[in-house]
Amino acid sequence: MPDGTKRDKRVQSTGVGAWFDHHLYSLVASFGRFFRRPWATLLTIGVMAVALALPLGLWVVLNNVQRFAGEVQGSRQISVFLKDGTDAARANALAGELRKRADIAAVTLRTPEEGLQQLRTRSGLGDAIDALAATGDANPLPFLLLVTPSGDDLTLAESLRTLPEADLVQHDAVWRGRLDNWLRFGGRVALVLALLLGLGALLVVGNTVRLDIQSRREEIGVLQLLGASDGFIRRPFLYLGAWYGLAAGALALAMLTAAWMALRAPLADLASSYGSGFALQGVDQVQAAVVVGGATLLGWIGAGIVTGHFLRQTRPTSH
Amino acid sequence: MHDAGAPSGDTAPMTVLRFDNVSKQYPGGHVALSEVSFAVAPGEMLFVTGHSGAGKSTLLKLIQLAERPSRGAVLFGEKNLAKVRGGKVALHRRSVGVVYQNHQLLMDRSVGENVALPLILRGMKRGEIGKRVRSMLERLGLAARERALPSQLSAGEQQRVGIARALVAEPELLVADEPTGNLDPTLSAEIMALFAALPERGTSVLVASHDLGLIKRMKKRVLVLDQGRLADDIPPEDLADA
Repeated sequence: MPDGTKRDKRVQSTGVGAWFDHHLYSLVASFGRFFRRPWATLLTIGVMAVALALPLGLWVVLNNVQRFAGEVQGSRQISVFLKDGTDAARANALAGELRKRADIAAVTLRTPEEGLQQLRTRSGLGDAIDALAATGDANPLPFLLLVTPSGDDLTLAESLRTLPEADLVQHDAVWRGRLDNWLRFGGRVALVLALLLGLGALLVVGNTVRLDIQSRREEIGVLQLLGASDGFIRRPFLYLGAWYGLAAGALALAMLTAAWMALRAPLADLASSYGSGFALQGVDQVQAAVVVGGATLLGWIGAGIVTGHFLRQTRPTSH
Repeated sequence: MHDAGAPSGDTAPMTVLRFDNVSKQYPGGHVALSEVSFAVAPGEMLFVTGHSGAGKSTLLKLIQLAERPSRGAVLFGEKNLAKVRGGKVALHRRSVGVVYQNHQLLMDRSVGENVALPLILRGMKRGEIGKRVRSMLERLGLAARERALPSQLSAGEQQRVGIARALVAEPELLVADEPTGNLDPTLSAEIMALFAALPERGTSVLVASHDLGLIKRMKKRVLVLDQGRLADDIPPEDLADA
């Protein structure tokens, strides 16, 4: 046989340099292919973006509900409404006694006047309350003790109910438990949706790349016969998939941002009317980077699966 | 039957390519090759001929590892191609230059880019690729067409681009499948003259052709395939009587 070694020396490889060159070439060439059929590309990106935006939007909503519920739950307060006829001195004394208990972290005493003032500002019934006050009737509101537990709030609530001065003990443990369960369920729904729609996005990229492979089958065949490695053939398709993922991730973020901008102001107004400063939170920069990076990876993987399958089918066989 | 490069005595002469009792049966049951044995010596030029369906294309596919034999062994140098798997298939294909009857050029790439492909696949430096491509195009009279697209060339020019691409990486073996099938006699003669000069540069040449007139004129060794069997192996000196 001819001196193959001598030939190999004459046709030298530059290793990393050539590898980098081809990556760069594939990156740019795949970007060109991305724009070659703009409508098809736009449709693919659109479908992927919706598939990504749905679970992402649900996750953002849940995040906000959780934050809102956190504000409500954070207080863990138990409201103890004292009986009519309990005077200020007794209410103060009771508050002092409760503060000494180990299972109580803090006690705030709210007088009937403070309660009325709060009702006036938060309920929007200021005029009606003023009118009632003008009739000279006494303030109907009782003294209120806001008790913050330091331990088990259920046991404490039961104990507070036994106080002779207590008229009504309000503790929303059951409601909070239900809310927790709903939030956990919502989180799981978001995860399942993310997995299903993520798989959908993967299939969309895979199918688009498959069509691209089909349209370039002849070219791939020629390259294979000339000695192109699987990596050489796979590379432009991987970059194409990554471009699809990147664009779809960015579009999904843009959709969510548009929805956030549309909902932010009316929701803030709504919250404000209930005396809350709650503001709708969107996606921060780190989360946005994770979404775009994840979508890019999804596109890359989808393209990799399809290209790998195609390359396995073109292996020479002995049968 | 002549058997160039076959072992004789204790010392086996080196061969570029060797078929040892190679058979190929396709899934439908069609036997394309049956117990074919021959060897190609370094710097040798030979023809493979036969009617349509005789097995010429299958023989070329086995050399390129586009197919694998059902039985027997194909050896490229000392390498048994049955053991060439995975990524090594691509490496093997880079050692064989192939000229196709239908050119198999990438129509959306220029002449220069088509010719550069085997060098790119070998990971050669850009500057060196440019030099080699220009040199090869000059050698084949295509220097002025480097930036043209294949669709802008005549059939003869396209075939020469295919040849340039097959030769640019200086393969150990050049395989040509009906390289003059679509060409006029003058151009066919030119291309054959080009092939005939390759052995002097150390490249062995295997040409599949059914153009008996051309084969006779070239006066090279001829393998005759008939229904998948090697019917004859005619040395150059016997060709005048064939």
